[in-house]
Amino acid sequence: MRRFGAFIIRTSSFIMKELREILRQTRLMLALVLGPFLILLLFGLGFRNEARVLRTMFVVPKEDQSVREQVQTYATTLGPQLDFRGVTDNEGDALALLSTGAVDAVAVIPGDVENKIRNSEQPVVHLYHREIDPFQVSYIEYVAQIYVDELNRRVLRSMAEEGQQSAGDVQDELQAARASARAMREAFERGDQQEAQRERTQLNSSMDSLTLSVGTSLGVLAGVQQAYGTSDESAAGQILSSIEQIRMRNEELGNSSSDQGSYNEEAQQSAEIEQDLEQLEEQLQDFRQIDPQVLVSPFTSKAVSISSTELTSSEFFSPGVIVLLLQHLLTTFAALSIVRERLSGTMELFRVAPISAFETLLGKYLSYFFIGAMLAAAISALVVLVLRVPMFGSWANFAAVLAALMFAALGIGFLISLLSETTSQAVQYAMLVLLFSIFFSGFFLDLRLMWENLRFVAWMIPATYGLQMLQEIMFRANPINPLLMGGLLGIGLLLFLLSWAILRRQMRTR
Amino acid sequence: MTQRIPEAQAPDPQVSSYQQPEIIAWAQNLTKIFGEKVAVEGLTFDVPRGAIFGLIGPSGCGKTTTVRLLTGIYEPTSGTAKVMGRVPSQFSKRDRERLGYLTQSFIFYPDLTVWENMNFAASLYGVSFRRSKRLKNLLEFVELSEEKNKLARNLSGGMQRRLALAATLIHKPELLFLDEPTAGIDPILRRKIWDYFEELRAGGYTLLVTTQYVGEAAYCDLVGVMAQGRLLLVDTPEGLRHRAYGGDVIDLRMYTPMTYEVRQSIDSLPFIIAPSIQVDNRELRLVVDEANTTIPKVMEWARDRNLEVESIGEYLPPFDDVFVKLVRQEEREPYA
Repeated sequence: MRRFGAFIIRTSSFIMKELREILRQTRLMLALVLGPFLILLLFGLGFRNEARVLRTMFVVPKEDQSVREQVQTYATTLGPQLDFRGVTDNEGDALALLSTGAVDAVAVIPGDVENKIRNSEQPVVHLYHREIDPFQVSYIEYVAQIYVDELNRRVLRSMAEEGQQSAGDVQDELQAARASARAMREAFERGDQQEAQRERTQLNSSMDSLTLSVGTSLGVLAGVQQAYGTSDESAAGQILSSIEQIRMRNEELGNSSSDQGSYNEEAQQSAEIEQDLEQLEEQLQDFRQIDPQVLVSPFTSKAVSISSTELTSSEFFSPGVIVLLLQHLLTTFAALSIVRERLSGTMELFRVAPISAFETLLGKYLSYFFIGAMLAAAISALVVLVLRVPMFGSWANFAAVLAALMFAALGIGFLISLLSETTSQAVQYAMLVLLFSIFFSGFFLDLRLMWENLRFVAWMIPATYGLQMLQEIMFRANPINPLLMGGLLGIGLLLFLLSWAILRRQMRTR
Repeated sequence: MTQRIPEAQAPDPQVSSYQQPEIIAWAQNLTKIFGEKVAVEGLTFDVPRGAIFGLIGPSGCGKTTTVRLLTGIYEPTSGTAKVMGRVPSQFSKRDRERLGYLTQSFIFYPDLTVWENMNFAASLYGVSFRRSKRLKNLLEFVELSEEKNKLARNLSGGMQRRLALAATLIHKPELLFLDEPTAGIDPILRRKIWDYFEELRAGGYTLLVTTQYVGEAAYCDLVGVMAQGRLLLVDTPEGLRHRAYGGDVIDLRMYTPMTYEVRQSIDSLPFIIAPSIQVDNRELRLVVDEANTTIPKVMEWARDRNLEVESIGEYLPPFDDVFVKLVRQEEREPYA
C-alpha cells in the first residue's frame, strides 16, 4: 500500500508541475485556443465554395468575321467560369497579356473550320494558360473540355433545329404523297392498273423529295442520338424507318402486271401506304415539337447527396483543423519535455531519485493529457458554438476519439524528445510530423487520390484516424469505427511502449 | 543561526552495511574510462558516517564522475564502490530514498515558485502530501520563507543554491552528495552555505561535497585531493598541511636582522626538519614536527644566543598553497 501511495505521489509530481508551467504562460494558452478559431474563421471568410473564374481572351483569324461574332455570343453565354475578356486576331498580343497575368487563358479558334470538317478533320481549339500548379492545370484542362463539349452540343443543337425546320417545310411533299397514295388505291380498286402505276411513280417522286428534305438532318440526328446511348426507337430513327417502309411497299406495288384479274391485294397495300403516310405526318409533327436541346442531349445529370447536410469549406475542414492542431500541440509539448529536462540537468536528478522511467513517462503523459483536454474542449466549443459547425453525433464519441488521438500524439512527441539532442532539433522533428500529416492525413487531399500501394503511409499518422472518425461523428452522426479506433490506440500503445523502453535505457546506469 | 536544523533519516537496520556504522560509503580502486579517456582511476577511500567528506580538485579532475559513480549514474569500468552497503548501480527505490543529490547547476524549474519547486522535489521522492510543515521548516532553515511565492527565475544565484539545497533535504536523506554547491558564488555566501553544511552534519547527515575552491577544505572533516582523475591522498585538513610541508610550520620574527650564521645555527637544530624559508631579513619560516612542543625550544635557543624574538607562532598556510605543494609533490613522486 505504501509503495502504491509513493507511486501515485511520484507520478503526480509532473501533473501539477507541467500544468503550472504551461498555464502560467497566459499568452501562449490564449494563442493556442484563439489561433485555430481565427484560422477557421478567416478560412471560412476567405475561401468560398465556388469554382475559379478564368479571364479568357479569344483569338479568331481576321478573315472569319462571322466566327468572331459567334465566339463573342458563345463566350458570354458558355458558363460562369468563363470571364470573356475580348476577341483579337493577334495571337502574339493575346499571349503577351497572358504572360503578364492580365488574363488567365487564351483560346485560339482555328481558321477555315468548315473546310476542315468537310475534310474529316477536327478543328482544335488551343487553350493557352500560365499555370504551374498541377491542380490548376487540371482544372483549366477540365474547364476547357467542358466548354468544348458545350460548343459541340450547341452545333448539334443548331443542326437539330435545322432538321425540325426542314420537317415543317416538307408538308407540301407529304400532302402530294398522300394524294398520290389515295389516287393509286382508287385506281387499283377500279382495276385501272396503268393509272395506278402512274400514281405510284408520282408517290415515289414525292417520297424522294421528302427524303431529300429531311433525310440528311434526320440521319445525323439519329446517329447523334445513338452515340449518346438512346435506343433505335429515337424520334429521328422512327421517321427514317417509316420513310423507308413506305418506299419499300411502294416498290413492291411496281411488280403488279396489267393482265391480273384482280387488284384487291394492291389496293389493300396502297391503303396501308396511306396509313403509313398518315403516321409519318404524325411522327414529323411530334418530331418538330421535341426540344432540340433534348434531342442532342437526351440525358442530363444532377448529383443528389443523401447526406443530411450541406457543408461549407470551413465547416468541412473544421475536424481536420482540430485534429491536426491537437496532434501538433501535444507532439510539440511532449517533444520539448524530456529533451529540456535532459539539457537542464533534471534528468540526472531523476536518475538518482527513486522515480522510475514508467512513473516519469506516465506522469508526463497525464499532465499533457490534461492540458490537451482543456485545449480540445475550448477549441471544440468555439468551433461548434461560435462558428456553428454542425455536430450531429455523440459528444462522448467525439471525446473518445480526441482522447485516443492525444494519446498517440503524445507518443510521437515523447519519442522525438527521447531521440533529440537539442530543443531546436525536437521542434524541427515536430514540424516535420506536422508537414507529413498535412500532406498524408487526408486533411486537404482525399486519401482515395493516393496511390493504393502507398496508402499505408497515411495510416501511420494518428491524425488520419482522428480525422476520419471525427468527420463521421460530426457530420454523419455515425458511431466510432472500431477498426479505426483500434488502429489509433494501437499506434498510441506502441509509441508508449517504445518511449518507455528508450527512457528506461536512458535512465539506467551507464 | 536560529533556524531549526532538519534531522537526517535514521539508518535502516535491515541493511547489512550498518553493522559497520562508521563507514557509510567506500570505494576500492574505482576506475571509469569513457572510450579512450580515463575519467577517474584507482580511487580508494572511505566516507565515515556523520562527517563532511570533501573532494577537492581543479575543474575536470574527476570529482563529478566520482559522485556519479557513487550515486549509480555511472557503472565503474573496474573497481568497487558501496554506498550504504549497496553497489550503486543496484540501488533499489528504498536505497534511493536515503540519498540526496545536488547537481552542479541549478536544475529546478524557473517558471515555478520556490514553494512549487519544493513540492515537486518532495513528490519526486514520494514524500507524503502532508508535507507543508516540513517544507516550511526547510525554507526557514535556508532562510527562504519570505521568498516562497517568488518564481525561481527571480531568485538571486545564492537563493537558487539555497533552494536547491532545501529541495535536496526534503526527504531527510542519510547521505548527501553535493556536487560543487558553492561554484560561482561570492565568498560571503559560500561561507554561509558551509555554515548550513556544518549544521547538517550536526543534525546527523553525512555529506560528500565536491569543490574546486581549495580553501573550503578547512570546513571538511576529511578531504580527498584529486588531480587528473586520481585521488592523491585523503586526510584531515591539518593532516594535508602537514603532508604538504612535511610538518607544522612556525613563523619566527626577530627585532634585528638575522645573519647567515644565525640561519645556519637554527637549521642545524634537531627539531627543525627542513631548511628554513626566509620571509624577509628579520623573519624565517620553520618546518617542525609539532608546533606546540617546538615553539618553547626555539625560544630557548634564541635566549641562549641573546636574540630578541619579536613574535613566534604556528603558521597555517592557505590551502591553495597546500594544494599546489601536494600536486607538485605528486608530480615528483607519482601516486602508487
